[in-house]
Amino acid sequence: MNKTEFLNELEKKLSALKVADIADIIAEYEQHFSFKLADGYSEEEIAAKMGNPEELAQQFAAAETKTRKARSNKALAAVGLGFADIFVAAVFILLYGLVIVLAALTIASVTTGFCLIFGIDGFGLIPPMPYGCALVNAVAFLALAVLSVVAMIYCLLYIRQLGRAYGRWHKNVLALAGGKPIYPALATHPQINPKLRRRLRRVTLISLTVFAVGFIAGYIVCALSAGSLGYWHTWNWFV
Amino acid sequence: MNNQYKKGVIELCVLSLLGRRDCYGYDVSEYLSELIDIADGTVYPILRKLKSDGLVTTYLSEASGGPPRKYYKLTDLGKEEYLAAKSEWLDFIHTVERLLKEDSNEQN
Repeated sequence: MNKTEFLNELEKKLSALKVADIADIIAEYEQHFSFKLADGYSEEEIAAKMGNPEELAQQFAAAETKTRKARSNKALAAVGLGFADIFVAAVFILLYGLVIVLAALTIASVTTGFCLIFGIDGFGLIPPMPYGCALVNAVAFLALAVLSVVAMIYCLLYIRQLGRAYGRWHKNVLALAGGKPIYPALATHPQINPKLRRRLRRVTLISLTVFAVGFIAGYIVCALSAGSLGYWHTWNWFV
Repeated sequence: MNNQYKKGVIELCVLSLLGRRDCYGYDVSEYLSELIDIADGTVYPILRKLKSDGLVTTYLSEASGGPPRKYYKLTDLGKEEYLAAKSEWLDFIHTVERLLKEDSNEQN
């Protein structure tokens, strides 16, 4: 008997005995063949050492009785996962909402920064101030834009990794309930490569410093040139 | 040694091996067929039975080059069961040994 004959015979006997997951069993014997073939044995030798396919099938059938129970477990797990999916989907929508908020913050900061630098008063929304003050504030706004871009990148990476980890867990719960092998769980935090991580951290530190310094300097410059701590009243911003 | 006799013991040997380290199917088959004269294929139904009894679980591990291998791992229940079966077996062979020795003393 060669490999194909052995596997066909085994498959026939297994399906006659209504054993579950036949493909899984056949795959394991196939792997046994390929390991042995790699060691230099012939297909006939391997098949002869393997044992009688009919006896093997009967042993599988005898081991079967308890696997039946796994079926109903699987249905139960699927329903439970269905509910879990609804809640998790809500969390993911919230997380994407956060990304949209960060994107809006980025666009608003960049626009405000450029309006201040070039003295454009779009829709009359930019309050009046001396040009020197506007420049300092513009720097703070641009730094804020960079910061929110970095936050957005982190957020997206996080969402992606969380999605993967959840997907893996989802698959494993079903596999476990169905008595199938499971894959190792995935980390829930993003695995950023060290170079990119260092770069992101440096950009964050620099933009955070520039933002903080620009924000405080902006306040001081405005207060000095208006001669008042509440310079927005002096310049009648909210009238 | 006759075959029927061995089958009961093989389960115990598989549990003992898996108690030491996680193995994939072929690993177990090779290990046992070196020690005991059994057909190579008999290990797989045994592993499946142990799994449906909840004594072992399986997980896939991506091997470098080639399809992912299915590893077998002892569960907590499996560990308990192994320790119980082990002491039962050791008691049993101790009794058998004593009995056989008495028998040979009488013959002398």
